[in-house]
Amino acid sequence: MPYNYLILMSKQGVVRLASYFKTYTDSDKNRITRFIQNDVLCRTPKMCNVIEKNGQKVVYRRYASLYFIAGVQPDQNELAVLEEIHLFVEILDRYFGNVCELDIIFNFHRAYAILYEVFVAGYVCETSKNEAIKRIADMDRLVEEATQHMDDSSNEENGLSYTMQMQLGRRPTRKINKSMSV
Amino acid sequence: MSIKLRDLIRSVRSCKTASEERSVISRESAMIRTAIREEQEQFRHRNVAKLLFMHMLGYATHFGQLECLKLIASPHFPEKRIGYLGLMLLLSEEADVLMLATNSLKNDLNHSNQFIVGLALCTIGNLATPDMSRDLATEVDKHLRSGSPYIRKKAALAMARCLTKCPDMVEDFVERIVSLLKDRSHGVLITAVQLMSCVCEIEPEVGKGSFVRLVPSLVRLLRNLLSMGYSPEHDVSGISDPFLQVHLLRLMTVLGEGNEEASEQMNDILAQVATNTETAKNAGNAILYECVQCIMTVESEEGLRVLAINILGRFLLNRDNNIRYVALNTLGKVVLQDSAAVQRHRNTIVDCLKDPDVSIRTRALDLIFKLVNLDNVEGLTAELLNYLVVCQSENKSDICTRTLGVVDKFSPNERWRVDTLITLLTIAGKDCDDRVLSASSTYIASSKDGVKAYAVHKLVKAMRDDDGTQEGLLIVAIWCIGEFGDMLLNPHTSENGVSYQALEPLNVISEVEGVTKQVTCTNAIRQRALTCFAKLTVRFAHCDAGVVQKLRVLVNKFKASINLELQIRACEYSNLIVEGGSGKGSLARMPVVDPKVAGKKSLRGSMSSGGIDAGAIANSSIPGGGGAVGGGQDVGGDLLDLLDLGGGTPAAAPAAAPTTNQSAIQTAQSTDADLLSDIFAAPMPTPSGAPTVVPPAMGGGGGGGDLLGDMFGGTPAPLAPVAQAPAPAAMPPQPPVVDMFAPQPVAPAGNGGTTANPTFTAFSKDNLTIEFETRKEDLSSQSCEVVATFKNSGSADMTGMNFQVAVPKYITMEMLPPSGTTVPCNGGGNVSQVVKVTNTQMGTKKLMMKLKISYTCAGAKVEEMATASGFPVGY
Repeated sequence: MPYNYLILMSKQGVVRLASYFKTYTDSDKNRITRFIQNDVLCRTPKMCNVIEKNGQKVVYRRYASLYFIAGVQPDQNELAVLEEIHLFVEILDRYFGNVCELDIIFNFHRAYAILYEVFVAGYVCETSKNEAIKRIADMDRLVEEATQHMDDSSNEENGLSYTMQMQLGRRPTRKINKSMSV
Repeated sequence: MSIKLRDLIRSVRSCKTASEERSVISRESAMIRTAIREEQEQFRHRNVAKLLFMHMLGYATHFGQLECLKLIASPHFPEKRIGYLGLMLLLSEEADVLMLATNSLKNDLNHSNQFIVGLALCTIGNLATPDMSRDLATEVDKHLRSGSPYIRKKAALAMARCLTKCPDMVEDFVERIVSLLKDRSHGVLITAVQLMSCVCEIEPEVGKGSFVRLVPSLVRLLRNLLSMGYSPEHDVSGISDPFLQVHLLRLMTVLGEGNEEASEQMNDILAQVATNTETAKNAGNAILYECVQCIMTVESEEGLRVLAINILGRFLLNRDNNIRYVALNTLGKVVLQDSAAVQRHRNTIVDCLKDPDVSIRTRALDLIFKLVNLDNVEGLTAELLNYLVVCQSENKSDICTRTLGVVDKFSPNERWRVDTLITLLTIAGKDCDDRVLSASSTYIASSKDGVKAYAVHKLVKAMRDDDGTQEGLLIVAIWCIGEFGDMLLNPHTSENGVSYQALEPLNVISEVEGVTKQVTCTNAIRQRALTCFAKLTVRFAHCDAGVVQKLRVLVNKFKASINLELQIRACEYSNLIVEGGSGKGSLARMPVVDPKVAGKKSLRGSMSSGGIDAGAIANSSIPGGGGAVGGGQDVGGDLLDLLDLGGGTPAAAPAAAPTTNQSAIQTAQSTDADLLSDIFAAPMPTPSGAPTVVPPAMGGGGGGGDLLGDMFGGTPAPLAPVAQAPAPAAMPPQPPVVDMFAPQPVAPAGNGGTTANPTFTAFSKDNLTIEFETRKEDLSSQSCEVVATFKNSGSADMTGMNFQVAVPKYITMEMLPPSGTTVPCNGGGNVSQVVKVTNTQMGTKKLMMKLKISYTCAGAKVEEMATASGFPVGY
């Protein structure tokens, strides 16, 4: 029961993160985006988190100004999907430390890395928050080490430092330490 | 100069308009393209990161695809990381450059760093094409045995992608997958269980065959999870690893379906999950929901099924909409297996129709349509109709059609069915499709008379109450009024105590007329109204003349319609409904249509898109109209003949007349024979429908005298009344005159010696000479006798002599039988015929005649025409 896609969209209808696990053409992707903009974003909080239209079925969940939307198969367990979305959100939250939309805008590549740590090929890959955070922190450390070794590109005058490039927004190490301690 | 990703994001976010944003982006993509062209290696991964951002905003980024490949090939982890991310996001499975990545992927799969291997596996899982899957499957398989659980779980999901793309490889790897289930890491377990479900989906035979023996292991895993104490690593709101539990249950559902033994092994644990799961939080409900689905799918014990249905019933009462949604969804699946258990929750389900959430309503609606049976059809249909009032208009058409299905299948009686359909039309007449309209009219038409009367009364009331927008209702109502309008003239009291008063014919008509006058009235309604008026002339024929007259006026009004169809029909109908017209037969009540047959027909699409039976009426009226016109031509044949007579071109006339005559008759005959007799069981319309051609004057038909007067007079309109007035006046004295002469027709001959009788040759052509001898008793008398004598100077007898005379309107004429029809040759004997003539305008107008002679001479038919005007003065 793999997901068809997973999209993060802001209340204003701007895509913040999008991963398609099935092969879609560009027009299909546009159609999906429009469907979400028109039919999902307008739903009130009391309504259920599933909506079906024209053979598409999405399970979504709103966190502050961000909607997490999973395109699912018709016979997928909707409640479990909600739980999996929540798992992803919790990991994001731990990683960024009280995650907000801005974190995801400026660190979308990190958010993607977390996404692919939790979901691969549309399936759930890791269900333990600690394990996922640990692996991502390991990778970040690897990036940092690599950038220190790569003298050719750490030219501060040109603003080329890998550290600078990879650590857009806040410094992840500080964040991670903070969240780990919580 | 390359700016940082962060600065790009900032500048894009600070854009106030879309065009500003576009210009920022296009400037930046130009920079990136330059950087790519100049191979600025140090900026490569930053550029790709920027491209990712642009891609997310929906801008073109295809030029960056190759950069991703270059980044993957880089030895540095940060570059690889961005490179693989770019690959997954910027490229799709169809991209050709993807095959270039295969080699890099293969290298990275053998990398010593587990994170690089993890990146490669993740990319394969998200992106692999069938070709890549085939090439890399063995590498992926190798990693299923890796020492690191991090690699194993990613390899399992990469394998899921490979096998989905190349199902034929399933058999090669199925055993390796089985071994994954012994793993101790939850991450590996959950991916392995999902991989097994995936295999069962793509290759059910192989998958189920290999995995069914694992059911005890799955059960043990699940039991361990349930009995496990608090484990911080996988705990979600007090439940240990609900994700794994759900996926285990899902796999068990697949394996237990249709397998008694496997289902038997699951019974205990399913019961345990169903009873012991904490339902305060969503995670617990997710497990319970999956468990219920499992119980209802596998061959579980009866007790378990009852338990499962009860859980769903509890779900249904939950205040959380998500839980109610899944309850409705699942009940919809099990309703076919265990209808009685679901029926118990009927009221709750019906209540869900009133929920503000469209997802819940849709599910509830689906479920209700499945719940309907003979016992509850009345109650549930009432609820459906209530829902129809409030639901979104885009769904109304669908609901109407499905309600029609319910009505088709489960109607307890005719009255209820008709009642329901009329209510349906009243609510959603503008949304329902043609099938509903046609079925409604068919059902009404095929029901008992009492029900028909009820229906038509109810429809009139509904039509009166409607604001003119429910097109479907108006169409059906108007059709029924036309068809059963006579039933409205009697009061009706139905079995359920509803009584309707009798209506006045004029009231009925004005109701329909009122509808056509509304601004919202469509042409479809007007067409039905026109047909309705035409039909009502027959239904209301016994009422006073004013009613029918009013209907005629209404039909005639449509003759001026700007809609061509309406205009044509109005012309046709107006001919059908004249006094003594053929309307009675053609506008008679439709034969009863069997709804089943009609249904089949409409399935075959042979029914017109209009669907409604009025369409059939309209069709049948085409031949009807044609028939009338054909009938007219029948008479018109003679008429044309006479027209030619009066035309004063004797030379051309003989040739022209027969041809027109013939073709006219042919047309008339073919129309009569083929169309009329087929369509109408009623007697063929009589040719008196002829007024089409020359309305009032044709009454006389064969006589032709009056008509000719018109022809001669040149101005028929003023002449006709003048001629008619004196004619009756002149008639009374005539019979005595005739009587006087009749007994002694030979008298003139006897007086033959007297040359007082002027004689002249009226016609001479070929060998035939006709002489007119005029006799008069009294010179002042208007009456005279003309004796026509036929002489044949030729060498062959003339047989079948037929002599016809036409006179202007001011002359009345009586022809006596001729002395013979054969004129002997060589003047061997004459034939004579007496024509008695009264010239009512003697003194002012001369006597004149048109002659038409036909005979057969030597086998050839001859027809001649002439004008005789050589009468002496005083005649």
